[in-house]
Amino acid sequence: MISVRGLTKQYGGVRAVDDLTFDVEPGKVTGFLGPNGAGKSTTMRMVLGLDRPTAGTAEVAGRRYADLAAPLREVGALLDAGAVHPGRSGRAHLRIAARSNGITVRRVDEVLAQVGLDRVARRRTKGYSLGMRQRLGIAGALLGDPPVLVFDEPVNGLDLDGVRWIRGLLRGFADEGRTVLVSSHLMSEMQLVADRVLVIGRGRLLADAGIEDVLRGLGHRVRVRSPRAEQLHGVLADRAAVERVTAEELEVTGLAAAEVGDLAHAAGVPVHRLAEAEQSLEQAYLALTEGSVEHAGHAPERPAAAEVGR
Amino acid sequence: MSALGWAAAAEWSRIWTVRSSWLLAGATMLVVLGIGTLVGLDASGSPSDVPADASAWDGGRPTAMFALFGVLALAVVTSTADHGHGGMVPTLQWTPRRTVLLAARVGVIVLTTAGLGLLLVTGACLLVWAIVPEVGLGVDGAAEVVGGTGYLLAVGAALAVGLGLVLRSTAGGLVSVIALVLVLPMLLAQLPYDWSLDLATVMPGSGALYLVFGEGPSDDMTTTSARLTLASWAVGAVVAGGWRLLRSDAG
Repeated sequence: MISVRGLTKQYGGVRAVDDLTFDVEPGKVTGFLGPNGAGKSTTMRMVLGLDRPTAGTAEVAGRRYADLAAPLREVGALLDAGAVHPGRSGRAHLRIAARSNGITVRRVDEVLAQVGLDRVARRRTKGYSLGMRQRLGIAGALLGDPPVLVFDEPVNGLDLDGVRWIRGLLRGFADEGRTVLVSSHLMSEMQLVADRVLVIGRGRLLADAGIEDVLRGLGHRVRVRSPRAEQLHGVLADRAAVERVTAEELEVTGLAAAEVGDLAHAAGVPVHRLAEAEQSLEQAYLALTEGSVEHAGHAPERPAAAEVGR
Repeated sequence: MSALGWAAAAEWSRIWTVRSSWLLAGATMLVVLGIGTLVGLDASGSPSDVPADASAWDGGRPTAMFALFGVLALAVVTSTADHGHGGMVPTLQWTPRRTVLLAARVGVIVLTTAGLGLLLVTGACLLVWAIVPEVGLGVDGAAEVVGGTGYLLAVGAALAVGLGLVLRSTAGGLVSVIALVLVLPMLLAQLPYDWSLDLATVMPGSGALYLVFGEGPSDDMTTTSARLTLASWAVGAVVAGGWRLLRSDAG
């Protein structure tokens, strides 16, 4: 269990994290989402005692991380896979971690095998790919077999096989009753693996809810096709937002498929296709974080035809 | 084992699992033992120039200055290695009690580097004795050289670790330590001002020079003043470095 209460971090005049309060419960994968600069990494760093909060507290299993004598047995974390001495072998890196927490060297070999790095463990990490470094970081997080796991962008640099592996790993940890907090920019990935999401923007908590609740918050979207789409549009427009997709197809927001079908039937309008449009976490995320994006790009303006011709 | 014991064991592994530590230790060994050999060969070539009461400990004593530079470099490199690659993040994840990390890091690096330096200086003295067996190898000289050199190397290593923790940069640490121990004392002593001479006297390099060769920029210097000067610098650097480690966010 991770408990964050009123957590705040101020850098000069910038408030990176602003009065965050949330709990991360055991037995679930909790996704931690937010745009770049939203304060996700800063929050994770404060949870792990790396940065000092300006105000508020962050506790793991009821204790501050900085008070833990053998933290790797309590919390496994991967924040920055690149933070490894390039001249040290992967095995030596993990041996130092193990020694610092009184963990046996045998366990080092076990986790190296678990993440699939056993054959390259004695190679210096400067020869590792980003994916291999991610796996090494994950091995470090697993070293103490901890009940709480914190991962910052764990699928970065992993190939499809690696992504599927980490997905299964996270799911397995949660099913074993462990607490799993994972940040990612890949919404499709989060939608597949997370049970709950925390969404932050500009350091503030925007949402703390189950995936289903977040998707439900978008409302129903229904695609309906009819040869008399114009007439159907008139029937539905009084009850919901209706958008014309093609000459025969409408998208209705705010009504369930059954309601759309009933209204069409009552109006005597034939329906050739009726389906709930799939809601995605990405849409929910974009809706939630709209206005909280720190650095937004703009589409390049098209030069005028005359300019092109010059 | 306690958290401090675990942290110390991890620090020991950190030092010896990178090639740069072995290269620096090897280079220091070559220089110190090489100079010990040259001193011995020089003495054996002109035995009439060797004072009657000279001992091998006196012959090997100058190698302490070269050992000091090796110790300073090794201490700076090992204390700053984490900062160069973002390694402080995993280090503080593994040992989040910063006072424990500070004690382990300073303690292990000082004991390891100063111990290595002392071993090499002792080896250089034994080499002199092996080449010129006519010179003695008295116990009194041993206590003075081993004790005095051990103190010099230990406070030098502490100064280097402290600077490393303050600056969090290998290049910055090396430049600073060379400036304090070599460049500034020499430069200040050459300037034609009383204040520069006074300042040169309290530089750590002047203290080191006095402890090894018995000479310094000022006639007022004594063994006690030299030791106090070095200790003050070392304590100041470790306090400042410790303060930064304890108070700052992980870099």
